[in-house]
Formats: sequence, C-alpha cells, structure tokens
Amino acid sequence: MEYPIEIENLVKDYRGGFRAVDALTLKVPHKAFLGFLGPNGAGKTTTIKVLTNMLVATSGKASLNGIDVTADPKMALADVGAVVETPEFYPYLTPLETLEYLGQLRGMSMTDIQRRSKEVLDVVKMTEWQDKRIGKFSKGMKQRLAIAQALLHEPSVIILDEPTSGLDPRGMFEMREVLRELKKGDYTVFMSSHLMNEVQEVCSDVALINKGKLLKSASVESLLSEFRDKKIEVRTMRKVEPADFVNVGKISGVQGINTLADNAFTLDFNGGDEEQARLLLDLQATGLKIVTFKESGMALESLYMSLIKDSR
Amino acid sequence: MADVYNIEKNLKIDVPSDTTQVLLVAKYDILKHIRSKRLLAIGIILALVLALVTFLGTYNNPDPHDAAKFIGNYAGFVSIMIVIGVTLFAGDAIVSEFQGRTGYLLFPNPVKKSSLYAGKFLASVGIMSIVIVAYYLVAIVIGLAYTGNFTDLSIYSMLLAILYGAAATGVAFLISSVLKTSTASLVLTFFMLFLILTLVSSVFTLAGIKPDGELTFAGGTISDIMKTPYPVDSVTNLTEGGRFVFHQYAPGVGISVLVEIAWLAVTSSLGYIAFKRREMVS
Repeated sequence: MEYPIEIENLVKDYRGGFRAVDALTLKVPHKAFLGFLGPNGAGKTTTIKVLTNMLVATSGKASLNGIDVTADPKMALADVGAVVETPEFYPYLTPLETLEYLGQLRGMSMTDIQRRSKEVLDVVKMTEWQDKRIGKFSKGMKQRLAIAQALLHEPSVIILDEPTSGLDPRGMFEMREVLRELKKGDYTVFMSSHLMNEVQEVCSDVALINKGKLLKSASVESLLSEFRDKKIEVRTMRKVEPADFVNVGKISGVQGINTLADNAFTLDFNGGDEEQARLLLDLQATGLKIVTFKESGMALESLYMSLIKDSR
Repeated sequence: MADVYNIEKNLKIDVPSDTTQVLLVAKYDILKHIRSKRLLAIGIILALVLALVTFLGTYNNPDPHDAAKFIGNYAGFVSIMIVIGVTLFAGDAIVSEFQGRTGYLLFPNPVKKSSLYAGKFLASVGIMSIVIVAYYLVAIVIGLAYTGNFTDLSIYSMLLAILYGAAATGVAFLISSVLKTSTASLVLTFFMLFLILTLVSSVFTLAGIKPDGELTFAGGTISDIMKTPYPVDSVTNLTEGGRFVFHQYAPGVGISVLVEIAWLAVTSSLGYIAFKRREMVS
C-alpha cells in the first residue's frame, strides 16, 4: 500500500455551520512519520476523529489501508492503533484486563495478547501497575496506557492525537523515546502535535493546517531547507547604543531587531547558512564585540508561525 | 464466519465475527456490573424486600398452603425492582461512553456500533435477568418452606418479569442514546418507568380507555398472573345513573406479551439509530 492513509477533499461541518475541516486532501506514504501541525481549532482532532470513525465527514473521503472508514469502519480500523485525545479507561479493569479486552476485540489470540501486553506495558513503563485497577491512575499513566493499547496488535498504521499531552517532563521524554522507536519500526504514523521540537525531532514528514485548510505538506527536510526566515539571538560585551541598531539594521538580510537587554537583542533574519556566516562578520564589523550568536527557537517553529500568520 | 484480515507481521489477526464481538462486549459489561457498587446496591434492596415481604406474608396469611398467593406477595414488588435494576444497569449504558470519554478507547476499534450496542444491551438484560431469577428462586424456596407447595405460576410470572425487564431496558437504552449526561439519563429512565408511563396509564383509565399499549400497564401481568381467578376488567358506578364511573382494567397476558415485545423492538431500534448517529464531539 503506497499511501496507507488517504484523505480526499474532506469537509466536516458541525451543527451551527462551523466548518472544522475544509476540503482537506492529504496522503501519507507508507512508513512515513507525519507530524500534523496546527493551532488550537485548526481541525487536527476533527480530522483524526473522522479517520477513526468517531465523526462522520460532511463530504469527502478518508481511507485507511485503502478502505473507506465511513463505508466499512470495521475493516478500515482492523490494522490501526489509535490514541485520540486523552481517552478514559474502564476504572473497574486493570491494564492487563483492558489490553485483553481490546486484544480480543481486535482478534488476537490469548497467547499473543499475553506476550504483547507484557511488551507494550514494558515499553510505556507501566509493568508495575499492570494488575492494579485503572480507576485512580493519573492522567499521565492513562496516556501511557493509551499508547500501549494502540501498539498492542502491532498495527501497520498508528494515529496519535497529541500523545505527550498530560505528561510530566519525564513522561514526555519517555514518550519521545517510544516515538523514536516507532520511527524505526514498520509503521505509518500520523501524529498531531503542538510541540515543534517533538515533530522536528521524530517526524519524517509534516502537514500544517489552519482553519481546516492544508497550508503545507512535505518532508521536514525539504521544508527546512526551503525556509530561510530565522531568529538570531545576539549578546554583546557592551551596551548596545541606538547608533549600533541603525548600523545593524543596514546589514543585508536583517529584517527586524528586538531588544532583549542592554547588551542583548534578537534579529529577524532571512538567509541561508552562507548569509548567516556573513552576518556574524558584518555584526563584528559594526564594532560590537559578540559574545554569543545563535539561532533562537526551532526552524520548524518559525516556519509554522510564518505560515499561520500568512493564513490569517 | 470471521472477517479475515491477515496482517503480515509477527501476528496473525482475524477480526472476530460480529457475534463474537457482541459476546465479548457483553462479557466485559457484565464484569463492570459485577464489580460496580450498583450490583451491591440492588443486592441489598433485593434482600430487604425479600425480608420485608417474607415477614408480612407469613405474619398475615390466612391460607398457609396457597403457594400462588404467597409468591404473589413477592411478585407484587417485582415491577419496582425492575425499574430500579434497569435504571442502575442500563440507565447510562450508552451515554457514559460519551460523557465518560471511554468511547475514545472503544470506538477506534474494528467493531461495529451495532455490536457495541447489542453487547451492552445483552449485558444489561442478562444481569437484570440474573437478579430477577435470584429474587424468584429465593421467593420460591421460602414459599416451599412455608406453604409446602410449588406453583407453575411463579415460573410464568418470572418469565413475564424478564420480558418486562428487557422491554424496560429498551426504553433505558433509547434515553441513554439521546441524552447528554449520565445523571439526566438515570433520572429520566427512573421517572419514565416509575411515574410518567404509569401516569399515562392512569389518564387513559380515567378516560375509560384500556391502556393496552402502555408498557407499565402490560407489566401488571407479572403480579396478576399469580391471582386465581385471573382479574378481569370492571366498571364501578360511583353515582346513580352511571354519570361517574370507575374503570379498573386488567392487562391480558397474550396482548401484554406482544406489547412488551413491540416496546422492546421499537425502543431498542430507535436507541440504536440514535447511538449510530451520535458523534464523539467533545
């Protein structure tokens, strides 16, 4: 299957006429790890809910492994593992019982369920809680268990809706480890996220949406090479005078200056690596003694902000 | 026959048939009821009712050999037990998946909504039936011990109670599929079965129309069947000339069975349609 996830001209209108997804078309190639980015209300979760048969599309089509989700949700979801929002679990079941229930629903044998349950609970570091009832688990523990159930049957397609949501810093770190492991496996992953570093770190491809419309979709590598707007953070030995700012503003590629402190400022800069190297020389030529000179924030974040700004 | 969908990896997965999935959903929903405090609650109520009816039945029974009359005392309380049981076991069966967000776990699985609905329905009717059978078994054993007799009528009454319980579960599932919160669904289910439908019956009766199509009226057969002879419709003149009359109607067993089956079919179908159309929005 060349494109295990295909979304064609998808439209979703809610009651009251609010259009959450607007003619969205997106194809996720086999073994891609796609980061699905967009601000709150962009339509990310709505798209994922349509893909997982929790919402019915107003028009258009969503297919998983070539099977239309609306027409045949049972078969479309057969080889899919999903975590949508932060799901709640049945409080009267233990993690092992929950995995047994879901494994049986998906058609796994008891031998496979027992073997895989141990593996996936180990992956998400929940082994010591496997026999405790879920009722009083924290949000973070439930989120880990949600990931475990999504991986249980080794699906070829994994759909994750903000998987690090609700996790503490350590949990987020561990979740990124899990995501990196997924990247090595034979999976096609569709992951929505707010966290740019997470996406830039683990995703091979990225799709940006806003107001339900697709703004950009490409490999992370090609997007970053295409994108030349950067924010450069500079700290100097001495106080930066107004005359210095005038000189800095004249340097080629500098599009804006923001003061951070008496001896620190950021530059909005447009250019590639060569132009950036020359910028450092030009700054020094103005007479400012540069202590630090570094890119501020992540390139993907800058691209994201730029595209979102343009689409408003 | 299973829908075969083999995943060419370490696992061989055949998505189970709809029937298998219905039974699986029912099994885990029954486990929910067994582990919940609701089963304990109905168990306590059941024990209290049994103790009270046994005390009153043995204390004031002019004919200690009439098993039908003795069991009839217990059957008189079955309808309210069913209302409480249906409220507890079925009142929020569907809405809780949405409000409690467990739907986010359950719905993205390769299982049809019809299987989920049928499995939950089966579980609710199953646990309700177990409670009814347990109640009647205790009543029959006490009746045997006290009167020394057994009557087939108690079995008929029990079967009618199970059918009434299933029809009432249909009403509960319809309410649960439509309403947004568990509390509203539980409250409306209880008042619908305990008060609203009974009021409808009373209005029809006052108007001199036999409320044959009304569910709780049909449920009257549970206790009526224990009476010998079986009650018949009657009219009492309250004033001379028949200006004000009081009607008393007895539900016929045959028509009541049909009415309950119809309520079961219609409410559970409407409930399923509402569940299928319902989206996991928030």
